[in-house]
Amino acid sequence: MIYKVLTANRLGDGIAVWLNASGEWTTSLQEALVARHAEAEASLEAIGKRDFAANKVLDVNLVEVEEDGETIRPIRLRERIRAEGPTVGYGENAYAPTRAA
Amino acid sequence: MTKIWKETGFVENDAWALPVEGEALPEGARPILALGEFLEQMEASNEGGFGVLIAPADDVTKLAPYLERLALVALAFPAFNDGRAFSHASLLRSRLGYEGEVRAVGDVLIDQIPLMIRCGIDSFAVKNPTALKRLAENRLPGIDLHTQPAFKSAETGQRYSWRRKAS
Amino acid sequence: MYRYDEFDHAFVSARVAQFRDQVERRLSGEIAEDAFRPLRLMNGVYLQLHAYMLRVAIPYGTLNAKQMRMLAHIARKYDRGYGHFTTRQNIQYNWPKLSDTPDILTDLASVEMHAIQTSGNCIRNVTADHFAGAAADEAADPRPYAEILRQWSSVHPEFSFLPRKFKIAVTGSEHDRAAIQVHDIGLQLKKNDKGELGFAVWVGGGQGRTPLLAKKIRDFLPEEDLLSYTTAIVRVYNLHGRRDNKYKARIKILVHETGVEELTRQIEAEFVHLKDGELKLPDQDIAAITNYFAPPALPERPEGWANLAAWKKADEGFARWVQQNVHPHKNPDYASVTISLKPIGGIPGDATDSQMDLVADLAEEYAFDEIRISHEQNIIFPHVAIADLEPLYRALQPAGLGTANAGLITDIIACPGLDYCALANARSIPVAQELSTRFGSAERQAEIGELKIKISGCINACGHHHVGHIGLLGVEKKGAELYQITLGGSADENSSIGEIIGRGFEPEKVTDAVETVVNTYLAIRTHASERFIDTYRRVGPQPFKDALYGPSSKAA
Repeated sequence: MIYKVLTANRLGDGIAVWLNASGEWTTSLQEALVARHAEAEASLEAIGKRDFAANKVLDVNLVEVEEDGETIRPIRLRERIRAEGPTVGYGENAYAPTRAA
Repeated sequence: MTKIWKETGFVENDAWALPVEGEALPEGARPILALGEFLEQMEASNEGGFGVLIAPADDVTKLAPYLERLALVALAFPAFNDGRAFSHASLLRSRLGYEGEVRAVGDVLIDQIPLMIRCGIDSFAVKNPTALKRLAENRLPGIDLHTQPAFKSAETGQRYSWRRKAS
Repeated sequence: MYRYDEFDHAFVSARVAQFRDQVERRLSGEIAEDAFRPLRLMNGVYLQLHAYMLRVAIPYGTLNAKQMRMLAHIARKYDRGYGHFTTRQNIQYNWPKLSDTPDILTDLASVEMHAIQTSGNCIRNVTADHFAGAAADEAADPRPYAEILRQWSSVHPEFSFLPRKFKIAVTGSEHDRAAIQVHDIGLQLKKNDKGELGFAVWVGGGQGRTPLLAKKIRDFLPEEDLLSYTTAIVRVYNLHGRRDNKYKARIKILVHETGVEELTRQIEAEFVHLKDGELKLPDQDIAAITNYFAPPALPERPEGWANLAAWKKADEGFARWVQQNVHPHKNPDYASVTISLKPIGGIPGDATDSQMDLVADLAEEYAFDEIRISHEQNIIFPHVAIADLEPLYRALQPAGLGTANAGLITDIIACPGLDYCALANARSIPVAQELSTRFGSAERQAEIGELKIKISGCINACGHHHVGHIGLLGVEKKGAELYQITLGGSADENSSIGEIIGRGFEPEKVTDAVETVVNTYLAIRTHASERFIDTYRRVGPQPFKDALYGPSSKAA
């Protein structure tokens, strides 16, 4: 089954965030509130618009996810990378093995 | 609500109005004509004191024969990032030598006003609340040192020929 | 190099103050995102996948040790200890906070640096030949003109809201090391029969969705007309460039749709009004700016040659590095050096803060405090005494900066790709790393010779894949990454756009596919000295298509 979560980037530092069940923006996708039906999606969208207008977040989007047991997994590779960070190392860790995406 | 601002301050009793489809002009208002209509009017009479609206895709040089009969040229910024009117203003002032009022209309925001002023625009139809507030406080976010000449004259003599300093 | 005077310092400070005010208004909500966005872009601040990204300008790729140390400091203080050097000679930081950007810009201003117009629909960093001032084949150093253009284009009131971005590149020699034919305006500095300096002018080059080579519209523009003529081009573009479709908004589309003759007519008609006006460059201004770029006084160091022979004999690795990364200089005791940012298996174009600090120290010690960034994402020391090559190499090696691969197959250009970039469809960095590892042996690289691989993670082509000898374009197909291969692109004076060779390859098949292409080349080249690009131009795509897809294949 494909569900939705609401994601955005924080205004102050641009860090990718997801909306959790308490209506707060968390940096962990795994804490995101999963919308399993149309009403829940509409509610997420409304919160997204509100928080964008309130200048808390920008680039707000509903993205598709599936649930793999307890784990939330975005359908799109792009969103998986957003959730877990670059698949490659950086800085002093530039030679770290590439993470599977 | 829209207010008209010039560097001398907000203007009361501005008579100009952009015609709105299906609505009558406010009483006593002078219409700002679309370019096509203006050119027709130029042929139809010898009167002066007209106002014309230059849309982004218009050729502003078409106004050249009629500058004496123009009291206002309005330049449209339908979206603030449609930058064609900056060139219209520059050509109208520097190339055509128009000396009457040039007004920015449309999506006029505070951060673009200093650039508009340098291009020779001297009045602004403003409805954005932040812009209105900043203009009322006379707090424009421009930079007084310039690294290129523009229509609005500024002091030369800043070592290189392309530099200017706002007077 | 150029030094700020009081005017420049005041200008940049005013710009930082202006941006600080804009950021405060954004953080307080007084200005909304869509009004703020072009303002932050004109100060180099992007929003990417994971965070904001700040692109700092390195004007025409030139900087000194003090500035490099500041770039290291910014990486340490405000970011995660590294930066990425780009195909437009700039540097990018991937994790800055918006709220820190005014302070970052303040720090940059203290060393005469900025992030003005590194993004946005305005005139961007003017790039130049990374060997400028050192190359023997130059008519003259093009950088003074890049500096004049930089100043003139900064916060230009008429040209801050163009239909799209606008990129200018300048070269000083017939041999084009600045990729001028894939820029919106390309300028080649040259001399006429009377020995006067001027420019051949190209317009309408670019990569991205619709790659096109620029058209030459002027064979000789006198240097005094540089700003008038550029104004004419940009004004025509500002008025007539398309604004209805983001992917059709560059000047290359205007040239293509209007026709180069008609567009040239419009430009020349506008130029007639501007020529001899206030934009005409006085000789003394050109001379004053040119003075800043006078080459350093280079002492005679004749002992270099004898030493070099002995050092090469004693150390094969050093000999390979000299062979590959050391380039002729107009002064016989000197050379230009490529400091490779493409370590085998590493991330192309990235440098840690400690590497940046080391480069700064070495620039002061061995390179007359002059550093360049090339559009191929490497660091260049333009002036190094032959006599100092060995100690320089010894210092670079332990820091992972001594890879002897300039221009070879592992000297890969790659954009950040889907690991970082919000525009990307596929990753570039892991592809580059795997290719680099596969071809990493020195012997294999020497056998293959000059072969430029360029990788882009999306059609925007920031990795310049269209002009790679082998280009890789990452796309998304059915939710997965796929890589299209193009062959035969080139960014020098014989510029060409690469041809798509056939259907794409999955990530786990790409490296093998490239190896097939390479092996095909090795099998059919006439001689070891026939470069890949020359073989491709001689035989065309068919042998490569046959090798990759089977002999029955005719079309992609």
